[in-house]
Amino acid sequence: MTVITLALDSAGPAAAGEFIRAARPSHPSLIDTRYEVARAYNMVNVPTAVWIDEEGRIVRPNEMAFADNRWIEYTKFDMTRYLEAVRDWAERGARSAYVLDAKERRRRLQLPTAEHALAAATFRLAEHLHETGHPEAAVAFFKRAQDLQPESWCFKRQAWALTDAETFYGTTFQKEVAALGGRPYYTPLDLGG
Amino acid sequence: MAAATATILLPAGKVTVTGEADADALWLTPAELAKAGGWEYEPEGLCRGPLCVPVPPAASWVRGLGADLRVDLTGLSRHMGQPVAASPERAVWSIGESAEDLADRLRSLDAPDFTLPDLDGRPHTLSSFRGRKVFLLAWASW
Repeated sequence: MTVITLALDSAGPAAAGEFIRAARPSHPSLIDTRYEVARAYNMVNVPTAVWIDEEGRIVRPNEMAFADNRWIEYTKFDMTRYLEAVRDWAERGARSAYVLDAKERRRRLQLPTAEHALAAATFRLAEHLHETGHPEAAVAFFKRAQDLQPESWCFKRQAWALTDAETFYGTTFQKEVAALGGRPYYTPLDLGG
Repeated sequence: MAAATATILLPAGKVTVTGEADADALWLTPAELAKAGGWEYEPEGLCRGPLCVPVPPAASWVRGLGADLRVDLTGLSRHMGQPVAASPERAVWSIGESAEDLADRLRSLDAPDFTLPDLDGRPHTLSSFRGRKVFLLAWASW
């Protein structure tokens, strides 16, 4: 099995580099500054994992995937069970009970709507404005992308990280999580198997 | 309406074209249009690769004839179901993939392919790992 990690980061190596250097990964550790993969797979948060088999088929679509339990108050799930599932798949491949059947894979796909597609194009515009020296003009488009796909924490947290969230967006990550009022921050993990 | 050099952000990258901006419309000659997403003006309509789209007689996104022919990239893209976000003040147009194309690709369960660089700028392509299982994990510094 190959692990590929992918940093979703508008600021690219300037933001993600120090973490990659510290981790010294032996697997491909890529940087997606344009959120290409997030758009193609409709990923709305991190960490998100996808299982892809030897033929390039998705056998488990997007799901929350922490390596340990340090964020259990957000995940509400014992991630050691998830790691066991990954190991089981690595060893047993298609015979692993955690490989979902095609019907279940399709049921779990988060298919993009017209609003999501427009959100992605709008986010791309905002990123471009930000990096070409128009950060204030970018804010309006980041907000529009967030409104078009409010379930995307990527669009929110990336925008907040590029500037002072309190000043330009009137909010912070902590405030937004508090506003969930007990609703889950991550879509609950359904391991199956 | 003003002649403008515009930046077009496309799924595959970005290009610069010259056209006339009118609010979020961007009127281009056929030659400039070809640069902005690969549309060629043919007798049978507008073609991109094997796909040809007839131009409806009342299309609001086409005007003029012959040397005066202009196509509004925004109107054409929306007609094709592609999302458009524009900042005419900054002369930037962002044109995405249609939700239908994005959804069809996912529904096929074939993992969408991509090529992205690592920290050293070396490109890696997902499909080059065919024959191995891939555990793809997205994370972020934010």
